[in-house]
Amino acid sequence: MVAPVASDHAPACGCRNVSVDLDSTEGPRRVLAGVDLDVDDAEFVAVMGRSGSGKTTLLRVLGGLLLPTEDSTVTFHGEPISGPPDGAVFVFQDYAASLLPWRTVERNVMLGLEGKVSKPERHSRVAEALAMVGLAERATDYPWRLSGGMQQRVQLARALAMRPSVFLMDEPFGALDAMTKSSLQDELQRVQERTHATVVFVTHDVDEAVYLSDRIVILEGDPATVTQRIQVDLPRPRDQLATKEMSEFLRIRRRVYDAIVHGDE
Amino acid sequence: MTRSSMVTSRRRKALRRANVPGLLTMLVLLGLWEILVRFGVTEFQFLPAPSAIARGAERLLRSGDLQGNLLHTLRVTTLGWLAAGLLGISLGLLLGLSNTAWRYSMASIEVMRAIPPVSLVPIALLVFGFSVRMELTIIVFVSAWPVLVNAIAGVRSVRAELVDVSRMLRLSRLAQIRKVILPGAMPSIVVGLRLAMSLSLVLAVVAEMIGNPSGLGHAVIRAQQALQPEDMFAYVLTIGMLGVALNTLLRFVSARVLPSLATGPGDAR
Repeated sequence: MVAPVASDHAPACGCRNVSVDLDSTEGPRRVLAGVDLDVDDAEFVAVMGRSGSGKTTLLRVLGGLLLPTEDSTVTFHGEPISGPPDGAVFVFQDYAASLLPWRTVERNVMLGLEGKVSKPERHSRVAEALAMVGLAERATDYPWRLSGGMQQRVQLARALAMRPSVFLMDEPFGALDAMTKSSLQDELQRVQERTHATVVFVTHDVDEAVYLSDRIVILEGDPATVTQRIQVDLPRPRDQLATKEMSEFLRIRRRVYDAIVHGDE
Repeated sequence: MTRSSMVTSRRRKALRRANVPGLLTMLVLLGLWEILVRFGVTEFQFLPAPSAIARGAERLLRSGDLQGNLLHTLRVTTLGWLAAGLLGISLGLLLGLSNTAWRYSMASIEVMRAIPPVSLVPIALLVFGFSVRMELTIIVFVSAWPVLVNAIAGVRSVRAELVDVSRMLRLSRLAQIRKVILPGAMPSIVVGLRLAMSLSLVLAVVAEMIGNPSGLGHAVIRAQQALQPEDMFAYVLTIGMLGVALNTLLRFVSARVLPSLATGPGDAR
């Protein structure tokens, strides 16, 4: 599985001076102001910040689901976008609401491929994606029959089947138990390693952010901007136990905690 | 399992599903009615006994009148219902999907659907005269409202998350409607269609009584004017049974169409 080749110098996702106004009861409210962010190819960036700090908004802007103000620039592989670009796929937090309850698991995974890819190709990609997330035997079940972790894996499989160059993930493992979370984290790592895809990952979980990412970006303020960018230079592949015992891991973790809890210091 | 034991168990299951207590009660009530009339307990000149009604029905069946009128009403009801359904669903999709259209039309819709349907029959009579067209127009105009309103509600109830999914997967507008919006709105639409079916039958009968001289409604009035209560009751009972049959059919069809949409962890499978 190879991600589509992008232009050499352009970042996979780019934001320049991005501001977003959202409707509220008191009129338009500026949620993001002057956000600059570049995510390079094959980079894993975690976006963090307190609740309501605009992390999801930023992700939606990167993925073309939300249009920023006029003086903002959002690019995808160097090209400005005005809607969801080809090659970017979301994985949402509320998995139950993001799957079609009237379709089986395999038809849910197939949704993005219909009309775009030939029938035999569709079936092979779906089978491949389901095998990758370990749900090959549940292909003909309906989503409600599956546990929360499995449903999230179906969403992941749906994204994988699209073979995107960019995964935009909004707290995808937030509603799952610890065991499922760590196994899905490792699955995601393996996928990224194999496909060299770019991942922008919104999370609340500091440990998860440090464990998974190459760089952590922190959103703060009202309206929010990027206040800190923290590089995570830990060796890959990462291990749930070994990596988390390293002193560098702990140091970065402390830095991120301080950044979020104590703000811009 | 032997063949004979399979047949017996199937028969037993059918018996269990048949509403034995309900049927027994109905038979008892019919018996009571028969007795009351036979022994002159009731003094109504035009209230026949069930046995007389049965004889009247047999006569009408043999002459072909019952079937002819039944067929007319059935045809008109079904046609009107189908047209109302198509109209209601397509308009409902439009108004459900377009916020602007919705904002401009909801007030008018609320006013129009509040008009008691039966009061529209004289207007239709004036405009269309005594004809099938009058009957169909009434049916379609009145039955479309529940479908329309439910379709709009159904479309708007499709979760925003699913709309996001269809957008980020870059589904064409048509694919989005076909694969996400319509199935999502289906449970609501089906409710509207079932309401519309009941309305269609009622309005067909009323229109036949007042406007179009054919069908079961008209036959009831003719029997009433000819002072033939057995025929009248026979026709009324036929109308009732038609309603039950149509409703049961719809329920059966919607159960086949909806299970994958409606099932949740609570349904034992």
